[in-house]
Amino acid sequence: MITLRNLTKRYGEVTAVNGLDLEVRTGKVTGFLGPNGAGKSTTMRMVVGLDLPTSGQALVGGRRYADLRWPLREVGALLDAKAVHPGRSVRAHLLALAHSNRIPVRRVDEVLETVGMGKAAGRRAGGLSLGMSQRFGIAAALLGDPPVLLFDEPVNGLDPDGVRWVRQLMRSLADEGRTVFLSSHLMSEMQLTADRLVVIGRGRLITDTPMRELIAGGSSVSVVCPDAAGLAALGARLPGSRAVSRDELLVPGATTRHVGDLAHELGVRLHALRENEVSLEQKYMELTENAVEYGAAR
Amino acid sequence: MMQELRAAVAAEWTKTWSVRSTWGTLAASAVLMMLVSAQLAVAHENNNTNEITTDDAGMTTAGAIAIESFAMLQFVLFTAAVLLVTTEYASRSIGWTLQAVPVRGRVLAAKAAVVAPVMFAAGAAVCLLGALAAKPLLGEWGTLDGLAYDMFATGVYSAAGGVLSIGLSLVARSTATAITALFVLLLLLPVLLSAAGSPLAEAFPSIAGDHFMNGDTTEYPLYAALLIILAWTAAAVLAGLRLLKTRDA
Repeated sequence: MITLRNLTKRYGEVTAVNGLDLEVRTGKVTGFLGPNGAGKSTTMRMVVGLDLPTSGQALVGGRRYADLRWPLREVGALLDAKAVHPGRSVRAHLLALAHSNRIPVRRVDEVLETVGMGKAAGRRAGGLSLGMSQRFGIAAALLGDPPVLLFDEPVNGLDPDGVRWVRQLMRSLADEGRTVFLSSHLMSEMQLTADRLVVIGRGRLITDTPMRELIAGGSSVSVVCPDAAGLAALGARLPGSRAVSRDELLVPGATTRHVGDLAHELGVRLHALRENEVSLEQKYMELTENAVEYGAAR
Repeated sequence: MMQELRAAVAAEWTKTWSVRSTWGTLAASAVLMMLVSAQLAVAHENNNTNEITTDDAGMTTAGAIAIESFAMLQFVLFTAAVLLVTTEYASRSIGWTLQAVPVRGRVLAAKAAVVAPVMFAAGAAVCLLGALAAKPLLGEWGTLDGLAYDMFATGVYSAAGGVLSIGLSLVARSTATAITALFVLLLLLPVLLSAAGSPLAEAFPSIAGDHFMNGDTTEYPLYAALLIILAWTAAAVLAGLRLLKTRDA
């Protein structure tokens, strides 16, 4: 479990993280979302003690990261896939990490197999593609078999196969009872992966909710009917509905079953009847509308 | 506490020998020491045997020639230590180092614990290589007398200089800044001060190191020379530790 208590980070005048209170729970994939510059990476860096909070605390299992005796066995964090010495081999990098935390050397080969890099162990880290570097970084995070894992944009640069692999890996790590804290800008991917979502903007918490709640309660039904009279008759029986074009009606909060039954009862001819699910992307855009730090002119 | 430190040292040891720059700079130091020592030996022999009598320096030792070369070439050796720190910042792999060992003092102690013995061995080895290169070229004008002390003293000075370089590099973070700072501290300032006739030059680590390696007690006793070297090393380490603790990685 990761606990943030009033966590704040200021760089001179700029407040990157502003009084963040949060609990990232065990056994779940918690998605961490926010526009560029919202403070996601800074927050993660403070959790593992790379950046020092201006005030407040970041705790892992109730303890400060610096107080963990063998931190890599308790927290695995992939924060920057390219942050390795380019001239050092993949294996030597992992070997040094293993030595530093008294992790058995066989784990090095195990995690390389896990991420599908068994054959790349001798390659220099600088020669890896971004996708390979991500796999390499995930291997390093998994090295100590830690119960808490943080991943900052782990699917950047991965091919579709790799993206799917990361999704399944995150799910299985959470199902094993681990805490998985994951940031990504790929909304569709996040929607498939995360159980819970934390959204921040301009360093502040915007929401911390289960995924299901976040994307529920915004769905609507679209009805396409070629007869103007039929459409009007349907509209009259569906309060809150509005015509979005000459032959289409949008009914917020309705179900296709209800609208379909009604059309049958009224004898109205339909060309289409479909449910519009709210996507995470839409919901995210609404939530962060006022919190975009670096946005293009619209 | 000791277990954690031993583990951190093992990690630093692995990192030290798994990059080419360590092997490269150590090999370069060895080759340059032999070349420069050979050159100095030829010059010494020549000065003694040419028609000009005012430049005659008489007998010397191969170790003294090696130490003279070392005074010029110490940067090359210390670069090996500098790179152990600065390449971590350049590649941002310092992040992994601190994730693995979050106690800043332990990271520094582990790096120093690797660098000190490696630099001791390297310093002693290049002194030996320099002396061996010089000896045949000195002919009748040079002996191998005192070589054991010369190697030991060069090793001690190198170990201290290597640790000093670690501290300085933690302050500088970038390779260029660290090497420049080292150059100013070890060469530029003492040379300028001594050219200006200032006794302050005697307080610099490279000058004290020179006295220490040459067994020269005209300015101050050898233990004082060693204390000056160690004081600078301690100062650099403390400065590096302070910034490592207070700055974001």
